[in-house]
Amino acid sequence: MSMQLGFYFDASACTGCKTCVIACKDRHDHPVGVNFRRVMHHEGGRWEPHPARPGVWTPQVYAYSISVSCNHCAAPVCMEVCPAGAIRKNEHGLVLVDQELCLGCRLCKSCPYDAPQFNEKRGVMTLCDGCAGDAQPACVAACPQRALAFGDIGALKTKHGAVSGIEPLPDPRLTLPSLVITPHRHSPLSRDPS
Amino acid sequence: MQDDEVIARTPDALEEQRGRSAHLPGAAISTTRPAEQRTAGAVTREKTFSAGQGRWVAADCWADCGSKGYNKAYVVDGVVVRMGTDDTIPDSWDRPQLRACARGQALRFWLTGPDRLRYPMKRKHWAPGGGKKELRGRDEWLRISWDEALDILAGELQRIKQTYGNSAILATKIGVIAARALGLFGGFTDKWGKYSSGVWAHVAPLIGFSAEWNDRYDLLKSRLFLLWGANPVWSQAGLPAYTYWQAKKAGAKFIAIDPFYNPTYSMLADEWIAIRPGTDHAMLLGMIHTVLVEDRAGALIDRDFLERCTVGFDAQHMPPGADPKENLTDYVLGTCDGQPKDAEWASEICGAPAERIRALALEYARTENAALCMSGGPARVDNADSMPQALLALGAMTGHLGKSGSLVSVAHHFGTNGGPQLVRGHNSRSYNPSHTRAPDIPNPLAGNRRAGDSYGEPIEGCINLNELNSAVLTGRYTVGKGDIRPINIQMIYHAHGASMNQLPNTLQGVQAHRKVEFVVAQNMFMTTEARYADLVLPVTSRWERYGNVCIGHREQLLWHSQVMEPWFESKDDLWIGVELAKRLGLDPEAVEPWAWKQEIFNQVADARVVKEDGKTYEPLVTITEQDLAEYGVEGEPQQGRIPIREFQEKGIYHLPRSPDDNFGYVYLKAFREDPEKRPLKTASGKLEIHCQALADFVSRRGWTEIRPIPTYNPPLEGYEATFKDWTNKLKGDYPLQLYNLHMPRNAHTFFDNAAVLREAFAHEFMMNPLDAHARGIRNADTVLIRSRWGKVLRIVSVTPLIMPGVTALGQGARLELDDETGIDRGGCANVLKGATPTGGGHLGWNSVIVEVEKWPGEPLEPDHRWPAVIPVKESKA
Repeated sequence: MSMQLGFYFDASACTGCKTCVIACKDRHDHPVGVNFRRVMHHEGGRWEPHPARPGVWTPQVYAYSISVSCNHCAAPVCMEVCPAGAIRKNEHGLVLVDQELCLGCRLCKSCPYDAPQFNEKRGVMTLCDGCAGDAQPACVAACPQRALAFGDIGALKTKHGAVSGIEPLPDPRLTLPSLVITPHRHSPLSRDPS
Repeated sequence: MQDDEVIARTPDALEEQRGRSAHLPGAAISTTRPAEQRTAGAVTREKTFSAGQGRWVAADCWADCGSKGYNKAYVVDGVVVRMGTDDTIPDSWDRPQLRACARGQALRFWLTGPDRLRYPMKRKHWAPGGGKKELRGRDEWLRISWDEALDILAGELQRIKQTYGNSAILATKIGVIAARALGLFGGFTDKWGKYSSGVWAHVAPLIGFSAEWNDRYDLLKSRLFLLWGANPVWSQAGLPAYTYWQAKKAGAKFIAIDPFYNPTYSMLADEWIAIRPGTDHAMLLGMIHTVLVEDRAGALIDRDFLERCTVGFDAQHMPPGADPKENLTDYVLGTCDGQPKDAEWASEICGAPAERIRALALEYARTENAALCMSGGPARVDNADSMPQALLALGAMTGHLGKSGSLVSVAHHFGTNGGPQLVRGHNSRSYNPSHTRAPDIPNPLAGNRRAGDSYGEPIEGCINLNELNSAVLTGRYTVGKGDIRPINIQMIYHAHGASMNQLPNTLQGVQAHRKVEFVVAQNMFMTTEARYADLVLPVTSRWERYGNVCIGHREQLLWHSQVMEPWFESKDDLWIGVELAKRLGLDPEAVEPWAWKQEIFNQVADARVVKEDGKTYEPLVTITEQDLAEYGVEGEPQQGRIPIREFQEKGIYHLPRSPDDNFGYVYLKAFREDPEKRPLKTASGKLEIHCQALADFVSRRGWTEIRPIPTYNPPLEGYEATFKDWTNKLKGDYPLQLYNLHMPRNAHTFFDNAAVLREAFAHEFMMNPLDAHARGIRNADTVLIRSRWGKVLRIVSVTPLIMPGVTALGQGARLELDDETGIDRGGCANVLKGATPTGGGHLGWNSVIVEVEKWPGEPLEPDHRWPAVIPVKESKA
């Protein structure tokens, strides 16, 4: 493998606006229910009532969004479990589904990022391919906050650091995602569930 | 439903139309296609896209969101196969790409969706005079020809004019194009009032303070940002939030003031102070009080600015003739009424801790370069007429007006980028400026103002937005104090706008629409207005016309071109106006003086761009004799900055900028420097913290009274109204506040029916876990929301991001009324809002009180699983 392609995601800049989700759907003509790129909102917190004055409150909350697609992992679970051998990594490290071989069994939904997407009409799994052939992936070009990038993961890590998992994304040691993240100020690093 | 079946249907549908003289610039046209190419699955599209068989066309997004994105459509054989956004320039902060939002990216899904209207239709049980009017909104539809449709329209217009007079025709938000015909016909009753501005529309000109933005480079000098009710991430997507992000990266501190911790804050805010909707004015007074009493030896208060540039701050600085006791300082200190408007007083109303209010006030006052950025939300509150003066006072006293590095601004739809338009063209996102070089056609019933214009100010013969429905039902409307006049509306004409769905008290609107003799709607989809009509005319989108010209923010001008042929039998609004004119015996050339192509060419020729000196302008485009011949238009050659062909092909011009260019702007700077030489257009020539003209204006409207200084006036349905006993804080029948925010799924009602956007954005009702738990409500339950005006069903999002006691529902979702139960399932927020006018007659969307309970009936399906609304599926009637 000459290089490993992957995504950079800046969680500190992301607003959860889902422009990336729709741009990707448009690019691939996806129906409702099929989303290569997905955005999750992570939020929580509590409210402190004023000890003496009812109706007066102090919030302690956090909220951030994560945009994630296929991470073209170095140890992809999908490839491991596919009974038809329909999933492989190409020379750029992209994890690709061969739709001719795919049985539609959906075992690859074991992906901890939920990346493989079942297309009901065609009866096969489909997967982000980094918009191979385009100048850049649709999501990267679309992001109004410029929070996404795609390229040689080594170069992206040199530029942006070593974090590749923030809560609630899975621990990166599971599948070794080709993903670099700038954490949000409220986002802890992904923890080993054990 | 957006699925492969729909996409497969689209090129077949366009096949039906291909017999016409279709020619899209640059696209390869074939009138027949081999059968194997007709399967428009993704694989086929991929091949055609990669093979470069199509062409990119700059595609209009004309949603009235107040922001702007650049969209392009890749067209193959008349079919749009994908979207793209701005890559016409390399991206930098000096010259940023104008990237689209999620809605823009969904344009082709939306505009080529299965629910686009195809044919003129009449209501099955309609007859001249109305027929079975009670069936409006629930009747069946019959496809008819354009001839029949236009004959019906013209016939009803004439009959109603002859029977009742032109004032019986109510036509609001129909845009300038349709209005030209009606203006020539003798006029029509229009509305006055603005949907979006809240109180700013009538207050700003009178107090001399319109809270404009500074230039975006200047914004980056601020060290502290108070984002007040602000959520540009959802409401004005694109550059506004991106500008704040630059400031954040440069080290500025952000404090959010809002009932809801929205995504803009999750990106930016270092702190969040939660306050209730409609209590912004009280919060501002608490801050003013803090600065007043903490000001030692003038360390905090800019007395020089107050003296030279304002009136009314204290007894020593009153306008001539004013009662000296009627000054802000004495009101805030409680000198006359015994109640200081201190942080404790404010805290009881707004819900933030008093110590937090004090700390914020002092931090704001002590920070030299501070930006207070408020949205329009706090102004869209009943009885909020005096809030802008409180905002003005706080900014003025702390020295934050008219100085580089500081600002007090309102509404992000200027792109957080203030100053004169650097690339000049029309702002045609919210209206269609038609025939810009032709004389306007006046509306005799609107004081002979331009027909179809947006009348912010009161005009005799026009009805305030709050009273439109009641005027139809009661036959009366308010002209002024003690001046109620009769009106007999018998026809409602809907075109460009969504004036049924987007007015308060929607159920009253349903009654009004079932009362009149005739309702007609022109639109692209089966909107609420269309559903309650007798006659529905399918119109083309802007993708189906020659083109359109529109500004972006300060620095961009866009020229969109035709993307596709008219959808089935849909027609331009302009064509409808011309055909109508012919049937009414009017001069069609007066409606359409020249072809739309000529009009767009005129607008492009008239576009101007600022020169390096920052003062003079030159034409944007160069036009040669050859251009004129090739375009086939009339005009004169001219010298400009870029060739006209280049502008058309790119579809956008971005003005290059740099931090030290001559295009900077600081609002009120010139006035601050010399208020004597540059007086404002107010009675005193200064900023009016005491404004008698404003008090008089409100009094003349006849609904409420206010004082010349910004005393706090609780909304009709605000926090105070949730109690039956304020002192003991005993809640009444509607214990929760509700406010309406702009949601990412739609731009008002635009886009709301697109399935991919419904999938991405759920249009949920939001409530705090404490309030939900007290009612046995859990996340994702279906809940019934009740106000004294109506009932709405929604799926609830129980979230800690909204303040206890406050709920929120986005605006713009379409009414789906169950006539038997009277319950709206669509989530139309206006069902819950009353239509009682206050103050200057603005729309107070954010003053609603409700109760909520778990719905015992069938749970709602998520919106994206609802079937698309397609009234006539068959090709033939």
